[in-house]
Order: sequence, then C-alpha cells, then structure tokens
Amino acid sequence: MSVELLRESFDIQGRNFDKAGEVSSEIKVILRDLFIDAANTRRTVIVAYEGEMNVVMYAQRGTLTLILTDKDISLEIADEGPGIPDIALALQEGYSTASDEMREMGFGFGMGLPNMKKNADEFRIESQVGKGTTVFARIRLNADG
Amino acid sequence: MGCMRACPTHAIRVKNGKASVISELCIDCGLCLGVCTTGAISATTIKFAELTGFKFKVAVSSPALFTQFGLRENPAHVARALLELGFDAVWEYAIDIALIDRAITDCIKTWPGPFPLISNSCPVVVRLIQVAYPSMVEHVIPLEAPREIAAMELKRKYSQELGLKPEEIAAVYITPCQAKAISILQPAEEARSYLDGAVSIAEIYNDLLTKMRKNARPPDASTDAVSSGELLHWGAPEGEFPKLSREHYLPLTGLTDIMKVFNDIEKGRFRNIEFLECHACQGGCIGGNLTVENVYVARSKLLHLMATMPKPDCEFEKEVERRYAAEDLSLRGSLKPRLTGGEAIDLRERVMRRKRAEELVRALPLLNCGLCGSPTCRNHAEDVAASRADLQDCVFLSLDRINQLRNLYKK
Repeated sequence: MSVELLRESFDIQGRNFDKAGEVSSEIKVILRDLFIDAANTRRTVIVAYEGEMNVVMYAQRGTLTLILTDKDISLEIADEGPGIPDIALALQEGYSTASDEMREMGFGFGMGLPNMKKNADEFRIESQVGKGTTVFARIRLNADG
Repeated sequence: MGCMRACPTHAIRVKNGKASVISELCIDCGLCLGVCTTGAISATTIKFAELTGFKFKVAVSSPALFTQFGLRENPAHVARALLELGFDAVWEYAIDIALIDRAITDCIKTWPGPFPLISNSCPVVVRLIQVAYPSMVEHVIPLEAPREIAAMELKRKYSQELGLKPEEIAAVYITPCQAKAISILQPAEEARSYLDGAVSIAEIYNDLLTKMRKNARPPDASTDAVSSGELLHWGAPEGEFPKLSREHYLPLTGLTDIMKVFNDIEKGRFRNIEFLECHACQGGCIGGNLTVENVYVARSKLLHLMATMPKPDCEFEKEVERRYAAEDLSLRGSLKPRLTGGEAIDLRERVMRRKRAEELVRALPLLNCGLCGSPTCRNHAEDVAASRADLQDCVFLSLDRINQLRNLYKK
C-alpha cells in the first residue's frame, strides 16, 4: 500500500491565457523543493501543463490536484467544460478541436492529450458531454524518490 | 548583504556579518562579485606570472578582448601587444569557432530531441541548468566549447612543431568572466579541461594599453594572428552562429530573461525552436564582469570591427575543412543534474520539512528584507525547517536581533 504524503489543489481559470501555465509552474516548484528526481519532475510538469492548458482553452474553470505518495505522483485535473464525446478519437495524435484563435497562440496541434498519456505511467479520462472532464495521471517514483 | 540579494539561485547567507555560500547552489555567475563592496569575493583567474613553468605560452583570446579598446586599435594591434606581454603565440581562435558553428548546425540536423538544444559555451548557463533546471540537462548540446578544442589543437600542433611535450605548452584563455576561469578548474561535465588557466581581461588591460600606445606602427603579417571577421561573432550579443535560420534559433542574453524562457521550456513549450543560444551576461560575453569597457561602447566597437574586418580567406576555409574531418568535437563526459544534498533524505522527511516551512513562512513578514541573513522570508523558513537557522533571527520576531545587527554594522 502506498501512503499519501501530500495533497494540494489549485484552481485553474478558464479562458485566462495571461495566467495560463502558473499552476504547472507551482507544481514544478513543489517538486523541486521536494528534490523529486529530474526525469519524474519533467514528466509531471508536462502532464500538468498540457492538462492546465486544456482547461484554460475549453472550460470555464477547473481544478488540478497534486497527490504525492511514497510510491508515486498523481495528478487529477477536473473541469467544468464541454466534455469529450469520443475519448479514443481525442487521444489520437493530431486530432484537434482547437479554434483558429487557439492555433494562432501556438496550441491545438492535437498533441495535448497524447502527450499527457505518453508521459504518464497510468492515464485515464472520464468525461460527460455538457458536464465536464476529469483526467487522472500517475507517475511512478523510483526507489529513492 | 548586496551579494546575498544579487544571487539568482539564493546560494548566499549572511550570518554574523559574514557571507557564506551554499556551494551546491552556486552557478559561478559572478553577480555577487559585481556588487561586493568589501573585496570579500574575487575571481579565480590566474596571473600571467604564474605561467613561468611552461616552455611555450599560447593565448586563446575571447573576442570580447578586441572590443575593449579604441577604434584605432584593431585586433592585430591587440594580438601584438599580447606577444609583447610575454605570450609566445596568439591562437587563431576563429577557426575553432567556425568548427563548432558547423558542428552545431550538423548536430541540430540529426538531433532526435528534446528540442530546443541549448548552447553550452557559457558555463553559467550550463550550471544554471544543472542546479535549477535539472530536468533540462538533455537539452544542452553535447559538443565541446570552442575554447576547449582550441586548446586541444594548439597543444597538438605546437608540440609537433616545436618538439615539446603537450604539458610543456600552456593554453591560456583570456577571459571576460570568472565563470570560464572556473569552468577550466571544474568542468561541469567532469572531464579535464585542455586549458591551463584563464587570465582576466581586466588584469592585463592596462599593460596591453600601454604597449599599444608605445608601439603605434601597424602590425606586420607575421604577428597578425587575427585576420578574420568571423572571429568577432563570438561573444556578440546578436548570436554566435549567424548561419542558423532565424525562425528556429533564439539568442538570449541576461540571466533573468534566460530563466523566463527556461521556465517555459520546462513546461514543454518552445519545441519548435531548434537552438537557443544563451549567455548569462546582459549583452553577451562583451558584458562579462572581467571586462573593462562599458558593454554598449564595446558593442559599438564590435559592430565596427565586424563591418571592417576582411572576410576569411580560402586558407582559413581549408583549415576548417581539414580539422572538421579530422577532429571529434563531441563533449567528453556527460552532463548530469547537480545533486544539492536534499535527495539523500527520506521522502517523508522532505515532505515534513516542506510542510514545516509552509507553516513557518506564515509567521514571517514576507518583505524579504534579508536582515535574518537569508535572502527571502521563504528561504529563512526553509533554513529553519532544515535546522540551519533560528526562526528568531527575523527582526520582526525578535528585537534582540535588531540590537545585535546595530552593534555589528554601526560605523
């Protein structure tokens, strides 16, 4: 059994591109202060950033929760957004529903969710159209954390 | 306390009127050196006189040196003054720079990722990544710095020509900053440097100037070691490798700006950029803190030199061609994140310390006055949580502390 050591939640404001990325920056600082190894920090921050950007682009608001146990790092990103009708399709590289505006800002190349999946050891999406989406990602720690 | 406030990695503490450095966090940037008013901090360069043990001394000069003098003193004058100072040769460094330019261009073409690649010629940038952006060590381009391959080649060439042992030949870098001097003593990738030391530009500036004023006649071809305009791209704020396509290449100078971009890269942004050229000093190497001239004046001189210097001749191109085919320019050793000590502690204890620091920081004023001896309230809370400091060192929590400081600092 793993023992939960730390749990912190952060609010993400939808449509606020000025503040976009701040939550993942905070995650990075926490992991760095905890001396989590470089590779795991990198993977976690990429998952956090892509997840945060999805909330910013598609939802009104959302929450990112970081859970650290003695064995792994979990991220839970829950939003009140439009939901994903076809999760398998959304996970295909290059599939994107981004608007032209989002693309102009350098997002929406259909790599967000695939990139999150690639960087996580466990990855799961739960979504209800019209209600919102929750993404779970788990990154396993090595023996020395 | 200026040094503590200037330090970008919060590596300095000032307790009982004395500054100390947490060496694991120090990135050799020299910002503390620039603001130190008491002379407590100095650069680890060598003096020319320390080179007497060598039979043949070769100067590898940072192009920044040539920007330090008036418009009449061209690089050939400077090179001659270096010889008059006692060097036996001035290395034509432009070739090494051109070699690394080609190696970078080729490396980018075949690089499997992650992007962007980051230049490693500035030792501060390399150390910043090891200490504060450990997850980005794989972005650092795995090539030798030009000054290293210059030293390797000059030892090979002169030992052959003069029948000397390589260790009898001194390869001396004329440096615009302390960081490159330290990188010779302690290379970040843990290989041994080919250079034998670095002499500071500021240290030899007056001597060079005097020699140039004494001998104003134009230098002849035999001492005209520096002939190509190419040399002068090195250390220029606009970038070292102008042959790269502008869209996929970003030159950055100044630690603050570099850290902003690194924060974005760490989140996975900038993947469409192929190469980031980073120099910790504002304005690039000509703004190094062992230079003498104001960075803007030096830059104006640099632009003038680049516009008036002749293009490299075909001998130059041939030599680049020959050496590119013959030499291995890849980095010896590998770059790893620098362990800062905390990794050794059990993860639970690390989490406990963080929680303790979070609670402690609430008792502090968050003004970051630094009077406790830590640069920020957050640092003080962390120091206390790690039992490295006493919470009562905060002047807001202890009036005794103010009296203590008054006794310590009153003139």
